Amino acid sequence: MGRRAAVASSLSSAIIVGLIIWFFWRAPNGANVRHFFLDPHSFWINLTGDPSRSLYSILRCFETNVWMFMLCEALVLIFGLGLAWLRLSRTPILAPLRVASAIYTDVFRGIPIILVLFAVGYGVPGMQAGWISQRTPITYACATLVITYSAYVAEVYRAGMNSVPNGQVMAARSLGLSDVQTMRRVILPQAVRNVVPPLLNDFISLQKDTALVGTLGIVEANQAAHVFGAMEFNYTGYTVAALLFLALTIPMTRYTDHLIAKDRRRRLAGGTV
Amino acid sequence: MRGLKSLTTLAAGSALVLSGLVVSTGSATATTAIAQCQASFKSGHLPLVSAGKLTVASDINNGLYQPWFGANGNPSTGKGYESALAYAIAKDLGITSKNVKWTAEAFDSSFAPGSKNFDFDINEISVTADRAQVVDFSNSYYNVQQSIVALKTNAIVKHHSATDLKNYTYGDQIGTTGLDYINNHIKPTKQVHVYNTLDEAVAALTAGQVDAIVVDTPTGQYMAAAQIVNSKNKTIATQVGQFPTAGEHYGLLFEKGNTLVGCVNAAIADLTTKGTIKSLQSQYLGIYNKVPKLTPIQP
Repeated sequence: MGRRAAVASSLSSAIIVGLIIWFFWRAPNGANVRHFFLDPHSFWINLTGDPSRSLYSILRCFETNVWMFMLCEALVLIFGLGLAWLRLSRTPILAPLRVASAIYTDVFRGIPIILVLFAVGYGVPGMQAGWISQRTPITYACATLVITYSAYVAEVYRAGMNSVPNGQVMAARSLGLSDVQTMRRVILPQAVRNVVPPLLNDFISLQKDTALVGTLGIVEANQAAHVFGAMEFNYTGYTVAALLFLALTIPMTRYTDHLIAKDRRRRLAGGTV
Repeated sequence: MRGLKSLTTLAAGSALVLSGLVVSTGSATATTAIAQCQASFKSGHLPLVSAGKLTVASDINNGLYQPWFGANGNPSTGKGYESALAYAIAKDLGITSKNVKWTAEAFDSSFAPGSKNFDFDINEISVTADRAQVVDFSNSYYNVQQSIVALKTNAIVKHHSATDLKNYTYGDQIGTTGLDYINNHIKPTKQVHVYNTLDEAVAALTAGQVDAIVVDTPTGQYMAAAQIVNSKNKTIATQVGQFPTAGEHYGLLFEKGNTLVGCVNAAIADLTTKGTIKSLQSQYLGIYNKVPKLTPIQP
């Protein structure tokens, strides 16, 4: 039965994939579209770059994306945690911050990131307010990503913290742990473990959104592809950029799935009927 | 904003410029050529859309602007560089000014392939290799120069020798001749900021994110004189200077294969020899000529 199922499923997959390829191959204008997005010669130029024609190497430009999302993710994990912690704090004196944290999350989860990018990238330097206005475009881009993604990640953390049963808190308090100790030693370790998959999900999203920062004049992978498109009227560069992003996001997605499956097995280990 | 039209992908056709030079070198040849053209107009052999008349197109419906046309946007006054030039060409071919007819042609459709209902279109159209595949162009009647625009407070306003220029941060719109000029001629040491639109490049300039942008002289003149202002509507930018032309130029546009190009080129050569083009340029395009010259940077 298992063998027959395997044969059936691979056969049906092959047929479906075949049909899709056939459709795109036989489309009346298919050859032009293939040249437009998949021209091998342009593909190579986009990978290596050509300084004599002011064309960038998308591979080199992609380095900007990589270090941007690595740095931003680290900051987002810290700020997001701070925001969630503030929001769940019970200390009366922190009430204004609690409200501020709630408003912050609502606002920045609700504004399209490209608009925040414009406001920060052109607004902050435009104010000419000394040091803060004299940073590079890439700094403003990172600030935007951190500002926006902290709001998302704060909500993920909060969900994780809320998922820890109340009995855990009561047990911690009865052992004489303070508020801070309860959070650090009891709630957080369980909360974070519960939300690793959604956190990785947001990380993948952050990786892709580094492609938006070209709006501030930064020549990252997507903007380099745009330059090629504007000069040569060929969009193969976008395909190159897409493949580079996939090369990072697919392993990340697989890893996330693996973690989810592992977590599921762990949870069900004691409870199977 | 007419100057924006010349911000086209890659100025091409240096070959066209060269051929223009060949025509204008021998004034005797030019005179003979123009005499032949005048004779063929008289005998009715000049290939004109409407017999005995020169039909000239421009973007009349979207407005014609100074200094290319007269103040009221009416092309038939003979005021403004392009209007005056069209009449000068007509006169040189023996066509009286009352036989010059104007017709409307939108800028974007002018260089689309297909048949044309005009003899030529005069509308600040940059000659590019892409366009030259579907329409024909005359030799240059205006050489476009790239210029530097910066905030009045920026160091580049005072320090812009060929070596100084390499040390600034430049920004420009994607796919423009200005960006091309930065990369191929200035070759700055710092990475150029590439913006999706010219507005964004200007926003970055105003915000101090880039030291300078490079645009063609007419566009830059407009930016510095009117577009880039502060909250009190005071202009805050200046046109630092302009570079020698790198081959980009405006040409009269013809339907592909129109043999009238030969005679119009003969007229342009003749008017160049006589000094008419130079005097029309100093009369109407003086504001552009006044922009200081920048040291050429060897490619």
